[in-house]
Amino acid sequence: MLADAIRSETYRLSKNRTALFWSVLFIPIMGVILATLGFVVAKANEAKLAGKLPPDMMKGGPLDLGMALVKSAGDFANPAILMFVLIGAATIYAGDYRWETWRLISARNTRPNLLTGKVAVVGLVIVLATIAALISDVIASVIQAAVFGRPLTFSMTGAAATDFGLLTLTSWARILQFTMLGLLAAVVTRSLLAALFAPLVIGVAQFFLPQLLLPMGVRPDGWLLPLLSPGMATDLLKAAIEGGASAAQLPDHAVLKGVLSLAFWIGVPFAAAVAWFNRQDLSKE
Amino acid sequence: METVIDIRGLTKTYGTVKALDGLTLSIPRGGVYGILGPNGAGKSTLFRTLLGLIRPTEGVATVMGGRIGDPASMRRMGSMIETPRFPPFMTARQVLEWLARAHGGVSSAEIDNWLQRVGLTEAANRRVKGFSVGMLQRLGVAAALMTKPDLVILDEPTSGMDPPGIQEMRALIRSLADHDGVTVILASHQLQEVQRVCDRVAIFNKGKVITEGRVSDLTASGERLRLSVTPLAKAMSVLGDRATLEGDALVAALPRGEAAAAIKALVEGGVDIEEARWIGADLEDVFMSETGWTGVQEQNRAG
Repeated sequence: MLADAIRSETYRLSKNRTALFWSVLFIPIMGVILATLGFVVAKANEAKLAGKLPPDMMKGGPLDLGMALVKSAGDFANPAILMFVLIGAATIYAGDYRWETWRLISARNTRPNLLTGKVAVVGLVIVLATIAALISDVIASVIQAAVFGRPLTFSMTGAAATDFGLLTLTSWARILQFTMLGLLAAVVTRSLLAALFAPLVIGVAQFFLPQLLLPMGVRPDGWLLPLLSPGMATDLLKAAIEGGASAAQLPDHAVLKGVLSLAFWIGVPFAAAVAWFNRQDLSKE
Repeated sequence: METVIDIRGLTKTYGTVKALDGLTLSIPRGGVYGILGPNGAGKSTLFRTLLGLIRPTEGVATVMGGRIGDPASMRRMGSMIETPRFPPFMTARQVLEWLARAHGGVSSAEIDNWLQRVGLTEAANRRVKGFSVGMLQRLGVAAALMTKPDLVILDEPTSGMDPPGIQEMRALIRSLADHDGVTVILASHQLQEVQRVCDRVAIFNKGKVITEGRVSDLTASGERLRLSVTPLAKAMSVLGDRATLEGDALVAALPRGEAAAAIKALVEGGVDIEEARWIGADLEDVFMSETGWTGVQEQNRAG
């Protein structure tokens, strides 16, 4: 039954080329185009820009694709990817209200299964977006090496591979968490626009939360800030995984705070959406 | 009598409006069952309740022996409620492929078969965005039937269809009941269509069943005596308010047992009777007598 919900939602998404383009391909394509332009302009103005650009961009030894991938994995959950993945997620979450198609599918499956199926497919979209972003980063690195005449290498130690996996998982969870507010908004309001804008508004509010709470005496190393701000929680997890100097400055229980915050912001909106959907009249989708 | 749907005291209120008002109804297995009623009578609310789309305020109902929402029972049911809508970016075939996955799998051959049966083979690879209402209805019917349900609910299945399409749909519905053993529940405003297709009907008004029974029984109960007589005025004075003038004949609402006495009275009153025959009421007469007059009165009052 859950498998039916996932299979049908995946099939429908596969036919929605507009949503797939904007949520999976747009940012990686733009990333490659902008990076290439940047490299070409930097190369053409190498003398003028000397000292103004990061030194490892133009000069240095071999360009290590493996390390570039580990670095990219930590940056997947950037604002641009969050926003564009949200387009696909909102389409999935609010689509059956928008197209009035709940009546076609809801009678023969349970409502929790139907919502869980949608979340699973959004999880798949995030995986696709991550793979596309990885490919985009590899292409950009190859272009960078070609433009600046640097040799390409690939090294991935066991520790680096673990970091890569954990950072990718953290970014995946952060993006999923961001879309879950869209799920709740879609179910409560039955509106695609609400599914798009509610996460953006709440995300912006969470971004500025520390500036509001710190003057009120909330401790920066306490539990409240990371629990209220999943973005901050993600930064804690990334710093803990990457190690080094920034990891040494992390507050106590940083990993636990990060994991709990993401779990809370994924689990609570999902549970609320299921509870609401279970009671909802679909007299007019 | 084995039933596919059993409803006891079903009530659904929206604010102060009762869309269903303590509805009680049993629908037997087999055949085509018509649900009739004026707009707002509660037909669509009943269908949406049976499909689990809305929750009743009071009462209980079972579908195929299971409570509403029981997945095992619901999977034995297909439905098309009002004009169906589909994701606009999909083609007709993709819509059925999508719903086949949602409903546990239907083979491509079966999908082709249903596209052909509803006359959409040529439009199978066109996006539904450009479909007419009639084409959407056909696709909705295919979606409802392709999983081979034991019970199918069709709400206005011929709405927006051209006359040949209506005829094809009528034949399809009868064939489902007669050859595939499917119980079809049909709501329609086209009373002639219902009379031709349905075995039994229930007439709804204001969220309640006001009449239910076999179509042949309901129309028989409205039988009237049609009399071609001269002079008309004398005949009318003999029969009084039991007769009305329809064209150049009198139509008398009389029980069969009183017909002989009425004819005798006419003859004794000096009326020549050229022809006397029984005419059956059609479903429209039954429907209007059960719902129409009240509805018109209330509309006039409201207006």
